[in-house]
Amino acid sequence: MNKKENLLSTKGKKNLRHFKNVGLGFKTPREAMEGHYIDKKCPFTGNISIRGRILTGTVIKMKMQRTIVIRRDYLHYVKKYNRFEKRHKNMSVHLSPCFRDVQLGDIVTVGECRPLSKTVRYNTLKVMKSGGSKKSFSKF
Amino acid sequence: MGISRDKWHKRRKTGGRMNQMRKKRKFELGRPGSNTKLGPRRIHTVRTMGGNKKYRALRLDTGNFSWGSEAISRKTRMIDVMYNASNNELVRTKTLVKSCIVQIDATPFRQWYEAHYASPLGRKKGVKLTEAEEKVLNKMDNASKKLKKKYEARKKLAKVEPALEEQFSASRVLAKISSRPGQCGRCDGYILEGKELEFYLRKLKTKKGK
Repeated sequence: MNKKENLLSTKGKKNLRHFKNVGLGFKTPREAMEGHYIDKKCPFTGNISIRGRILTGTVIKMKMQRTIVIRRDYLHYVKKYNRFEKRHKNMSVHLSPCFRDVQLGDIVTVGECRPLSKTVRYNTLKVMKSGGSKKSFSKF
Repeated sequence: MGISRDKWHKRRKTGGRMNQMRKKRKFELGRPGSNTKLGPRRIHTVRTMGGNKKYRALRLDTGNFSWGSEAISRKTRMIDVMYNASNNELVRTKTLVKSCIVQIDATPFRQWYEAHYASPLGRKKGVKLTEAEEKVLNKMDNASKKLKKKYEARKKLAKVEPALEEQFSASRVLAKISSRPGQCGRCDGYILEGKELEFYLRKLKTKKGK
């Protein structure tokens, strides 16, 4: 970062933004490479490594600063009745500022990282827009 | 053991309280902060979990600081604490913590630079140098051709950024602590350069202005 050529030459040139490829085939968004935000918990421009589980969910709340609540639906099998029942778990997940157009109901892919706060252990890696479906049950 | 690092005293994510399942355990303990000050070296060792050691520095005055763009490190004296992002009180009481800005004595770095590049760094005009320093700066006068070529090649990269050169002329350079004195007992860090230096100079100026 403090390399000599950078210190003396770069007088406001490309401005040396740090970003990285998180691996596992996830594309780092253009907004992360060209934006100006600073987020130490962003998987692309911050000090976070994504390792462990990769999960998906749908966005239900976006009221927190830089973090969202996603809902993961699943079916639980009851042996006695040979049938399934619907269950869901909510999860708080960090959302980097590079994902700008996120609406309620979007499907989001999250990857496991180290604990970022009391309840946040996952970080958003990819956002897929939803058609328009609201809080209906959809299994992944 | 009053300070405890347990989780069960906090509420759950849903807001519900957690019933106390057990008393405080030794592996959940916390110890009071070291508040290491600037002064003659005083380090206490602490026996930690597993029989390992932590070196609690209570007073420190020297540290190993690196000059990033030249990729060298030298042990230097720390002179003063200039800025702390968390708390102005820590600046007033000269407390050394990770990521606080200190002023360090620049002479070892200047000595290395003048020996490596054979050109003066931060010397005021008209100030006489001692004989030893003159010899180092003028060693090119009696050098062989090959040696001269080596130093000519080095001179291409010898430029130091102006903000840093100003600090060298006062023999006081700003550096940031990057070790944790209360854990490892050392106060090491790196010299501020580039955008970081600009940022902290600006912060110091507004503080002085107020």
